[in-house]
Formats: sequence, structure tokens, C-alpha cells
Amino acid sequence: MSRVASSEATFTLVTTPSLAPSLPVEKMEPVTVAPRENGDWRGGGGGPLGSGLSESQRRAELRRRKLLMNSEQRINQIMGFHRPGSEEEESQINSRQQESDKLNSLTIPSVSKRIVLGDSVCSGTIDQQSVAEGKGTQLGDKLDSFMKPSECSSDASLDLRQRNRGDLSTDTVQRGSRHGLEQYLSRFEEAMKLRKQLISEKPNQEDGNTAEEFDSFRIFRLVGCALLAFGVRAFVCKYLSIFAPFLTLQLAYMGLYKYFPKGEKKIKTTVLTAALLLSGIPAEVINRSMDTYSKMGEVFTDLCVYFFTFIFCHELLDYWGSEVP
Amino acid sequence: MSSAEADRGAWLLVLSFVFACNVLRILLPSVSSFVSRVLQRDAEQEAQMRAEIQGMKQELAAVNMMDEFARYARLERRINKMTDRLKTHVKARTAQLAKIKWVVSVSFYVLQAVLMVSLIWKYYSVPVAVVPSKWVTPLDRLVAFPTRVAGGVGITCWILVCNKVVAVALHPFS
Repeated sequence: MSRVASSEATFTLVTTPSLAPSLPVEKMEPVTVAPRENGDWRGGGGGPLGSGLSESQRRAELRRRKLLMNSEQRINQIMGFHRPGSEEEESQINSRQQESDKLNSLTIPSVSKRIVLGDSVCSGTIDQQSVAEGKGTQLGDKLDSFMKPSECSSDASLDLRQRNRGDLSTDTVQRGSRHGLEQYLSRFEEAMKLRKQLISEKPNQEDGNTAEEFDSFRIFRLVGCALLAFGVRAFVCKYLSIFAPFLTLQLAYMGLYKYFPKGEKKIKTTVLTAALLLSGIPAEVINRSMDTYSKMGEVFTDLCVYFFTFIFCHELLDYWGSEVP
Repeated sequence: MSSAEADRGAWLLVLSFVFACNVLRILLPSVSSFVSRVLQRDAEQEAQMRAEIQGMKQELAAVNMMDEFARYARLERRINKMTDRLKTHVKARTAQLAKIKWVVSVSFYVLQAVLMVSLIWKYYSVPVAVVPSKWVTPLDRLVAFPTRVAGGVGITCWILVCNKVVAVALHPFS
């Protein structure tokens, strides 16, 4: 009886905003629809059950929206930096929040009116469900759960779906901005790591040229090139170009590479790699390019050693040939 | 010595110069420290100050602060004063050492550049070595640059090759 009475009381009170939508928000306060400055919804008069339902629901919704809106701001505070447009974004977010709050203030009572109008039993069951589900759930989910046990009008469901779509669009915008922020933060962290690496590597590079580390395969290559040059000068050079045996040797080295123990490849972080990384080029592409460049450098060194040995042998043979009568 | 024999030794001359430059570059830090030791004659004064500070610190450790506070405070003041003087002295010496290093390295690089330019100028049109042109195909033009002699080895190519080989050879000592 008391529940029916309260629902009737709710009916009487709730219909007022929908009939007079032009009324200012403050006048709707007794029906728990006016937001305060801090964004909290305060309950006013009216039936205890109806106002209690909407109040907790609204509080939960506001809390959720507040958390979502302020996530970007919070991350900025944690990271301790301010983006140039951050203040503008904050004001935009605040204005968006206020707009969404206003939307809620105008639409929620009409929705709840429709729910209540549909069936008096619905309100009772709705009341139980809201208490059971507690705080922190989305408005759309709550309203859907309201709809499930009751035979409410389809108009309400359509309105709900439209409101959900609106929520989704704002959510996608928020997600997009969050994704961009996450990308920016990840690049910032990479930049900090690179900076630390550069600082730590600076004393090593101050001594002069950063000489390559010669592992066993490298030494094998150089010795092989020198021996080949000697052999080519002695036997082969009369018949063909001296670079043909060199190319054959390089091809052989490519095949022999896998049989040698591979040392730990230290990835040198230089200002160039840091600049390339920060300009958006993926690290994998940079590593592959640096790897290719280093391999080309090794081939060039082999060529220099090969050519030097060849000319050296040639000149020595010429000199001894001229000396011997 | 005929011109042919003179040109014959060109490859060896260039190789020697390149080798000497690379060795000198490795020895640059030692040269800088030698020059700084010759120019800075007050290294003994610094050593004396350090010994004095050490002695005073030992004396301070032997003095009880509660019993002989005045003496303790006097000693501490003297230590602080001497330490400040030493710091100033070390700072000045370090700055002078850095200046000397800079001067030595700049002089070296200028000398190296002058040497290389003079070598290129001398052997611009004369190859440092000559081989049959078919041996070095298809890179004969690149190897002969800037001499345009068929089968010749140009000065630029030879300097590049020598630099690389000498760097590899001196890698264990650098």
C-alpha cells in the first residue's frame, strides 16, 4: 500500500518536468534532477523510494563520467607535464561534462516517468533491482535492466537506445583521444630511455672513433680476404678481373656466417637513431636499416683489405722482379 | 732516382703518412698530458697541499672535540681553507689541461688535413700504382680517379684504402 502510494506520489511529482520543460532546473530540485556545482545530485523531497532510485543511479552515472573525463588530466598530472592544448582540452571536457549533465537532467525524469507510467508494479521491481545492482553501473545498463522484468512501452526502449548511441559516440571520441595520449606517452617514455642510454654511452664514445668489435668471424673474413688477394695476384689475375673472386668469397661468407658463434649484438643508440625513433619510424625498421648498413660496411672493409693486399703484393713482386737481373 | 722509381715509391709514401697519422691520433692523449706536464710547473705545489691537508686531517682525528674545542675548530678552519685553495688550484689546472688537449687535437687535425691535401695535390695526375686495366674492371675508372690513367690507382682511392687498412691493423692498440 505504501509502495503504491509512493508510486502515485512519484507520478504526481515526476510529470511536472515533462509537462513544463521550459522550467529552470532549480525548480525541479524537489524531484532530484538539479545538479549542484560539484556535480553531485542531491535528493530533495518527493517519495522516498522514487527519489532514492534516481539519486543513487544519477550519482553512480556522474561518478563514472567524472572518472572518464578526468583520466587525461590525471595522467598529465602523474607524468608531470602539460601539453600546450591541455588547458583548452580541459575546458572542453568540462563543458562537455556540463552539457551531458544537463542532458541527464532533462531526459532522466522523462524516462523515469515513462517507466513509472507503464506499470505501477514496474516501479516496485525497479526499486529492488537498483538497490541490488548498486552503484557504478552504466545508465544504459540500468535502464535496460529496468525494462527486462516489466512490460514497459517500446518508446522508452527507443529513447534508451538513442541515448546509448549518443553515449557511444562520446565514448569513441574519448577512446580516440585516449589512444592518442597513450601513443604520445609511450613515445615520451622511449625518448626518456634513449636519453638515459645516450648519457650512459657518452663517456665511451668520447675517446674517439667507436671502433667495431672484431669477433672470430670478422677476423676470419679479413684473413680470408688477404689470403685470397695473395692467391689471386699469384695465379688468377691474368685471366679475369680481380673483383670476381672477391665477390665469390663474399657469397661464401654469407653461407658460412651461420656456422660461427654469434656474439651479442649490442645495439648502439646514437643521436641519429633517437631522432629517427622520435620522428615515428618504427624501431624494427631502424634496426634493420642499421643492420644492413653495418653489413655493407663490413663488405667495404673486406674490399679495402683485399685491394690493399693485392696492390701490396703486386708492387713487391714488381720490385723484386726489377731487382733480380 | 728516376721519375718512374719515384712514382713507384708513391704508394709506400702515402701508406707511411697515413700510418703515421693514425699512430699519432692514438697517441694524442699521451702527447697532451706530456705537454701539460711541461707547461704546468706547479704540480709540486698541489702535491704539497694535499700532503698538508692529509696531515691536518690526521691531527684533527687525534683531537677530542669536547676537550679541546678551540683547537679542533681552528684545525677544521685551516683544513677547509686549504681544501678550498686546492680545489681552486685543481680547477685551474683542469681547465688548462682541457685547453692544451683542445689545442693539441686541433693542431693534429689541421696538420693531417694539410698533409692529405698536399699529397693529393702532388699526385693528382700521377697514379700511385699501375696495374693492367683489365685486372680492375669494372671499377677501373673509380680506382683511377682523378688520374684518368687506364689501370692506374688514384691517390684518393689509395688514401681511402690505406686509412681503412691501418685502422683495422691498429684496432687492438686503440
